[in-house]
Amino acid sequence: MKSSLGRTVLFVVIGAFVLVPLAQTIMTSFVSTLPRAGITEGHFSLVNYRNILNSPVLKQAILNSIIYVVLNVVLCLGVGFPAAYAFARYSFVGDRQLFFLLLVFRITPTVVLSLPIFVLFAQIGLENTPVGIALVHCVFNIPISIWILEGFIAPVPREFDETAFLDGHSLPSFFFRHLVPAVAPGIGVTAFFCFIFSWVEVVLARILTTTGGKPITMAINALFGFRTDFGLVMAMTVLALVPGIAMIYFVRNHLAKGFVIRT
Amino acid sequence: MKPYDNRAWFLVLPALVIVTLVGILPLIAVTNYSFQDLFSLNNPYWVGIDWYRNIVTSDRFYASLGRSFLFSAIVLSIQLPLGIWIALLLQRSHQFIVSTVLVLITVPLVVPWNMIPVIWLNFINPNAGLAGRMLAWLGVGFDYKFNALHTWIVLVVMDTWHWLGLVVVLAYAGISSIPPAYYQAAAIDAASPWQVFRFIQLPKMKTVLSMAVLLRFMDSFMIYIEAFRINAGGPDSATAFLSLDLGEEIQSFNYGPSAARSIIYFLIVLTVAWTFKAATSTRARAPIGMEPAR
Repeated sequence: MKSSLGRTVLFVVIGAFVLVPLAQTIMTSFVSTLPRAGITEGHFSLVNYRNILNSPVLKQAILNSIIYVVLNVVLCLGVGFPAAYAFARYSFVGDRQLFFLLLVFRITPTVVLSLPIFVLFAQIGLENTPVGIALVHCVFNIPISIWILEGFIAPVPREFDETAFLDGHSLPSFFFRHLVPAVAPGIGVTAFFCFIFSWVEVVLARILTTTGGKPITMAINALFGFRTDFGLVMAMTVLALVPGIAMIYFVRNHLAKGFVIRT
Repeated sequence: MKPYDNRAWFLVLPALVIVTLVGILPLIAVTNYSFQDLFSLNNPYWVGIDWYRNIVTSDRFYASLGRSFLFSAIVLSIQLPLGIWIALLLQRSHQFIVSTVLVLITVPLVVPWNMIPVIWLNFINPNAGLAGRMLAWLGVGFDYKFNALHTWIVLVVMDTWHWLGLVVVLAYAGISSIPPAYYQAAAIDAASPWQVFRFIQLPKMKTVLSMAVLLRFMDSFMIYIEAFRINAGGPDSATAFLSLDLGEEIQSFNYGPSAARSIIYFLIVLTVAWTFKAATSTRARAPIGMEPAR
């Protein structure tokens, strides 16, 4: 009995540690932090959220973020799935070296690659567009998607594949009709991790969007100035959290299951 | 044993093409820049290893390296035990509590990295922030701008807030993969909770935990945006980490020196990854404590 009480107290402390700094952000987002006609400074107000709705720049930034992150997740799942299947089912020349290469690119700090990526993408016309960010974020998200998906595909018995091939399925048809439904939670978890790592990344997103195509993170950066409207900054931050928290909620029961990373 | 079939390369090819475009090609380009003086990209002037020599002979580089190592060491020694402990407690909890705690603790992971310092600066602001006012009320002279120790405390606490969730999720994933039979065997043998942890849970968590160590080490070692926003490397360079030096040079478009620095950092990453791989594969071959306690 005693230990279960202690555990509860600890969990409450952790919850408070996570939530209290955020609570202040959420509170600030609901007050007017600059003097405005008709609104008392420091009182509850929806003015910040109204200002976002009235700002084409901020709305475009939210749209840009959603476009690049969705593209990135689709791309990583699309190329990661067959690769994960290859790693789970076959050994081939250089498979371990390739796996190591992916590991290295997953942990390479983005700041190390940012300069040449900027130069390269400027030359091929992929700067200032969400497509460029979606592509660049693959450098750390493709390794992640291959690891996670491989962890979900490997436990599926090989007979599962063989039966489908005997039934006359081609490889793509087997993927879509049988394997994808069989590892659906894995796809959810993969999408979740690709989503969050792409959504929060700012170094590459910044260097690729100096003049346009700014995602939500860079739009927030641009709000800092001589007289920063902190209420507006915090309102944008709160909005930037909503999709991520929704994702967490959807995968909450699978987050910790089958998350087996092979090295 | 997995069948040997080189046609599997066709399946990994699309992934490899993209990684080549956004990883390998930029790396080749940056290697090329690092040997040149590039006032503009059209006027390269070969300088050989000059940039490298400048960096590895500067005291500033070793000071930053030391600070980054210290930061990573502190961060790991706090987050790893704390994360494992929370995961162990979760494992004995009701499913609903597990979901709630996991959801809560992963929320900071979805905060954009440039907003994390903004949230924390707002929180510790002595005039308006909850923590700032609390500390002032308690009479603590908290000054993260000019007191190096206080800047470090802010960075460590902020990083723990940000990343603890990842360690907990990975550690919990490792624990929940242990079949109940292992615990039954341990109970029959009257194993102590420490023995259960040492000989059953820890070995079973090994793979995911080594992943957590690697990810946490690299991310804290190369902490950039968060540290920069809190105090821009100050006070008096007390929090000038490796990435801040690199970031500074990229911002001022010093192509050559920043390229050389990028390569040096990449070599550090490569060494870490290789050590990690070597360490995990030798441990896998020596199954110490892999069986339940006898």
